[in-house]
Amino acid sequence: MRRNLTKRMAVLPLLAAAGLVLAGCGDSVNDAATETATEEAAVATEEEAATEEAAEVAACGDWAIAMHGWVGYTASAQVVAEVAQDALGCTIEQTQLEEAGVSYDAMEAGSIDVIVEDWGGGRWQEWVDRGAIQEVGTNGNVGLIGMYVPQWMADEYPDITDGTKLNDYADLFQTPETGDKGAWYEGPPGYTTIGEKIIDAYGLNYQVVSTGSEAALIELFTQAADNKTAALGYFYEPQNFLAQVDLARVNFPANDWTDPAEASGLTDYPESPLMKLATTELVESGSPFATLVANFNWTNDDQNMVAADIEGGMTPQEAAQKWIAANKDTVNSWLAGTGASIS
Amino acid sequence: MKAWIDTHVPDFLHRKWVWIVGLLIVWFALGRIFKGVHTLDIGNSEDTPTTEVLGQFAANIRAARAENPIFVYIFNPFRQGIESFVEVIRAVISDPAPGALIPVIGWFGILAIIGFLVFATSNWRTSLLSMVLIFGCGVLGMWTYSMDTLALTLGAVVLSLAIALPIGIWAGLNDRVMRAVRPVLDLAQILPTLVYLAPLALVFLIGIAASTIATMIYSIPIGIRITAHAIRSLQNGPIEAAESMGSTRWQKLTKVQLPMAKRTIILGVNQTTLAALSFVVIAALIGAPGLGEPVLQALSIRNIGDGVTAGLAVVFLAIMLDRSTTAAVARSNQIPLTGKPLLIRRLSLGAAAIATIVAVMMSRQQLWAAIFPETLNFREPIGDWFDAITEWFTTTFYFLTTSFNEVFTLNILNPIEYLLADAPWYLTIIMISVIAAIIGGRAVAVLSAVLLLLIVWIGLWNDTMITLTQVLIATTIVMVIGVVLGVAAGRNEKFERVLKPFLDAGQTLPAFVYLVPVLALFGPTRFAAIVCGVFYAAPVVVRVVADGVRGVPKEMVEAAISSGSSTTQVVTKVQLPASKKSLLLGANQGLIFVLAVVVIGGLVGAGGLGYLVLQGASKPELQGKGLAAGLAIVLLGIVMDRIAHASARRS
Amino acid sequence: MTTSDPAISVRNLWKVFGPTPNAIVGTPDAKLSRPELLEKTGCVAAVNNVSFDVADGEVFVVMGLSGSGKSTLVRCLTRLIEPTSGEVFIEGEDILAASKARLRELRRTKFSMVFQHFGLLPHRSIIDNIAYSLEVNGVKKNKRHARANEVIELVGLTGYANHYPEQLSGGMQQRVGLARALAVDPEVMFLDEPFSALDPLIRRDMQNEIVRLHDDLNKTMVFITHDLAEAMRIGDRIAIMRDGAIVQVGTPTELVLNPADDYVADFTNDIPKSHVLRVADIAVPITDGHVSTSQPIPHDAIVRSIMHRVMSDPDPISIVKNGQIIGCVGRDELLTVFAEDVNEELNA
Repeated sequence: MRRNLTKRMAVLPLLAAAGLVLAGCGDSVNDAATETATEEAAVATEEEAATEEAAEVAACGDWAIAMHGWVGYTASAQVVAEVAQDALGCTIEQTQLEEAGVSYDAMEAGSIDVIVEDWGGGRWQEWVDRGAIQEVGTNGNVGLIGMYVPQWMADEYPDITDGTKLNDYADLFQTPETGDKGAWYEGPPGYTTIGEKIIDAYGLNYQVVSTGSEAALIELFTQAADNKTAALGYFYEPQNFLAQVDLARVNFPANDWTDPAEASGLTDYPESPLMKLATTELVESGSPFATLVANFNWTNDDQNMVAADIEGGMTPQEAAQKWIAANKDTVNSWLAGTGASIS
Repeated sequence: MKAWIDTHVPDFLHRKWVWIVGLLIVWFALGRIFKGVHTLDIGNSEDTPTTEVLGQFAANIRAARAENPIFVYIFNPFRQGIESFVEVIRAVISDPAPGALIPVIGWFGILAIIGFLVFATSNWRTSLLSMVLIFGCGVLGMWTYSMDTLALTLGAVVLSLAIALPIGIWAGLNDRVMRAVRPVLDLAQILPTLVYLAPLALVFLIGIAASTIATMIYSIPIGIRITAHAIRSLQNGPIEAAESMGSTRWQKLTKVQLPMAKRTIILGVNQTTLAALSFVVIAALIGAPGLGEPVLQALSIRNIGDGVTAGLAVVFLAIMLDRSTTAAVARSNQIPLTGKPLLIRRLSLGAAAIATIVAVMMSRQQLWAAIFPETLNFREPIGDWFDAITEWFTTTFYFLTTSFNEVFTLNILNPIEYLLADAPWYLTIIMISVIAAIIGGRAVAVLSAVLLLLIVWIGLWNDTMITLTQVLIATTIVMVIGVVLGVAAGRNEKFERVLKPFLDAGQTLPAFVYLVPVLALFGPTRFAAIVCGVFYAAPVVVRVVADGVRGVPKEMVEAAISSGSSTTQVVTKVQLPASKKSLLLGANQGLIFVLAVVVIGGLVGAGGLGYLVLQGASKPELQGKGLAAGLAIVLLGIVMDRIAHASARRS
Repeated sequence: MTTSDPAISVRNLWKVFGPTPNAIVGTPDAKLSRPELLEKTGCVAAVNNVSFDVADGEVFVVMGLSGSGKSTLVRCLTRLIEPTSGEVFIEGEDILAASKARLRELRRTKFSMVFQHFGLLPHRSIIDNIAYSLEVNGVKKNKRHARANEVIELVGLTGYANHYPEQLSGGMQQRVGLARALAVDPEVMFLDEPFSALDPLIRRDMQNEIVRLHDDLNKTMVFITHDLAEAMRIGDRIAIMRDGAIVQVGTPTELVLNPADDYVADFTNDIPKSHVLRVADIAVPITDGHVSTSQPIPHDAIVRSIMHRVMSDPDPISIVKNGQIIGCVGRDELLTVFAEDVNEELNA
């Protein structure tokens, strides 16, 4: 083919082009899809007698939600995505990304538009100042980070839940990873933490071990509970895992800070309402999706319910749809102002 | 002095390894005595003067992005241009327009187009294989992810080749250009992938553009290297003949050099494509859509099955891209068809073209051909199956894996880490430099000392040593595996055939796919990162060693056998020494590959520099530290590469 | 065709490789031996002050061992390698003064070259290989293919036009090389060890082919070889090179009968004289008019080739040159030559 290859290769794009032109002629499933959707909508409106409302729903558009690496976030984001797609006809892309900085940069680039649960504690401010991101309220969840041990340890060593006395038990937590110090497990690199500050402030004989993922933390505590092994690790609410495996919180003196950079290490983590963030582009687009995101608000229990189903083996879609079906009123309250509703 | 040494120092002291062992003993003893002194250990969220400067620098760049003219008129339009280019490809094969159900072409049409393209450039057998593999991506339930990955890969490859081919050709023709690009190519070869992500994100933010640019940075050097090599390694005869017949330089290039180099250049396309594919998966860390997403997700929420399924789809794509380009090389090497076979070929191409057009039309009009049918989607059962296997494996071998992990960590990992990271920093630097001097010579020792001091100055000494520990251990294991399997494969063709598919899969599977199952087996430990490094680097080293052993002249082996050597003697006294160059090359490759993965180990709790890079990506206030960690990785890579190179040159 | 103007004229040609190629010629260093020069300057004079003329239609062979500079010399003639200094005139044109464009034009139309390793383009069919220089010269496809087909026939490759080089044997590939060199109808052909890579039997065939082509086409040829027998068989004149310099130039007979020094003698000793000498060289005057009545022998016949006729005839046979009888050769003359050959054999 040596000589003919180049000639024939030149024909390829032509063929491809011809194919596309031909393909373009027929009815596309894309058109059909729109038609079916319209028909379905028409049927629905007849049945529900909600013609006016349906007619008023503005075009939603094409948006992307950040997906972060913990199951609670997945629950929130999936529910928002399902509602946006089903009720508002949005095209929603879900983009797996590390939290905070990476995601803010993605928002500045226009790669994603929404973060439905941000623990970043104001790290986003500089992006707000640049006009890329806007705060669109809290999502109703209240986050609380803390250090935990399996319940059996709390039962056996009642003192252990007093953070200031952790040094008495450092031996229990020794691992090959940490040598003669106790292992102090932390979450992934992106998680907000003051673990090192606490260790420093109290002179604790512990060494930080980073686990890299929520999954690893869950694995750690599951093993600890099942095999009655020792584990001291970072965890947080809302997380439905706390309902499945008994963990005991290790307490430090009451919190006195909000910005982790200013924490002394002597006091515990604060309760923090979790923030929703959206790109300025979305907020100013007038899309009903912006309204949905602004309205989205639910409780820790709601999130845990969906998260439990996902952990239990449902796909995030199934779990989200199940919760939506069971909580139509809440969902409709989020849809207020968009002209759409679910039934 | 030298004469004095020659006469007064006993013979065994002339051997390098005696000195190295002696040094290690001294090092170990001193390390014990001064354990924990001057280790420069700092907290993960603690800054140093240098990281603060870098952090300020990063903050300034972030602040400049919205208004600075360089961003407004150069970087941002460039980013948007790249993004739109890739989005066009995505719109055709993976990403439906707003409100649409499918992209321009449905799955069946894409299947047909791929089949046709592979048929046209190679043969029907490869075409069929490609279609089966692409179909397999659908069966795995990864159709859209796969198409996203394919779209990004294609976009990055097209852009990469548009840059790599001209530069590669130029560097092939012109020594001065080659001298100018070579250091860049060498650096690119030792730069772990994770290192570019952060600085790139700083300039090009996060998303498709940044992913594509990062992928290009990864694959362009490979394209340049092979293209330049293709031009340089041409036989001189035909070129001189063309010159003697009065060709202009352009005629010589287009009529002689390029056609003759075509085969190797296509091989370059193959390598560029595979590199791009493996990078696109990792680029999920900076917002690349595609198969990297489920893998990343699997890492962070408990979903091992899904992660492995996605990894399998990556392997399918890799095999498809590899086989189709390899088959195209083979075809371009054949004597052209004439007469009846040519007619048959043309007719079948025509038929295939028509079938493809019909398939594309159907894929736009028939629902079954537009959206990959749900009934053929086995993502969940396959994922469950992998989950079950992993579950069974982890529970059955829990004690084995954890106790092995424990024994290994206590007896090997920790002592070495104490040596490197828990001893005073100056002791470590002196010892490394002296060892570098012994095996690589004075120049390399000085370079190592300077670069290591630079790491101290950056302030990430302790984390660097933690990473170095893991790299050294993983490389040692890789070399043991590489030599054992490589010698076996080099001596025994049957064994090599058995091994080959594993090596292929190992080399095509992007590194961070194995993090998922390894995490399940070993938990978030340094050992898990070491295991990943071993998995990633071993296939390459096995290949290099096997090639080396096979390259030992037959006569040499026959001479050894005929003088009565046992098999062990043949291996240890003939084949290994004779392939020393390959072994050292393998060690060098192993080091670099291991470094690339051990850094990703930050994702599974291995700590060290990788952790700091990832932390910097998420926490803007620690971005400076992340960038500094990236710099430290590069410096460490250069130190190891130079020592390995120097020792290879000396032997 | 005038015999007075040489086709190629080379004067004081130098090619120095090394760090300071321009600082050798014209200095006392130029007189140094090769090892001395290398020791002192790090340079090697691959072509060392070479001068010679080649007549129109002549086959001029340059013979030397590997490293003697013969391949560099032939490349300097067409500036595939730029000479360091000297003069090269081909058909009266100063080659070293030619511009790049002019040089290309000369290469496309006046010279052509055949290479030791053929230098065929593997990605082109035989006919496109042969038509290459016409193609780069802008000749239209059907015209250049017509010409290529002519030379394909000329070199005996009919039927192979659409084959590819790798499908042909070495000998046939070099026929393609020859055809390619002939395609432009050049005035001068340069052949750089064209048959060294071939098996002995094929080599013999190809040598005959060259002799035949030369008889038919009468091209001026510069033929490089390391094989003295080949040089003797093909060359009108032979230049022997050593360490970049020409040691001796002469006809085969001159070299065998009067080697300039021991170096040349060492070569020519191994050649059986009967294989080289022509009958004119051993002819004796017809003294007593006692000559065979059989057909006279042409003066340039190789001695060995007429052995049978002379030995089977009791009388000497007359030798003719340009229709004139110049002497005769009988058994005695022949036996003298053979006796020398046998002695050489025994001594070796």
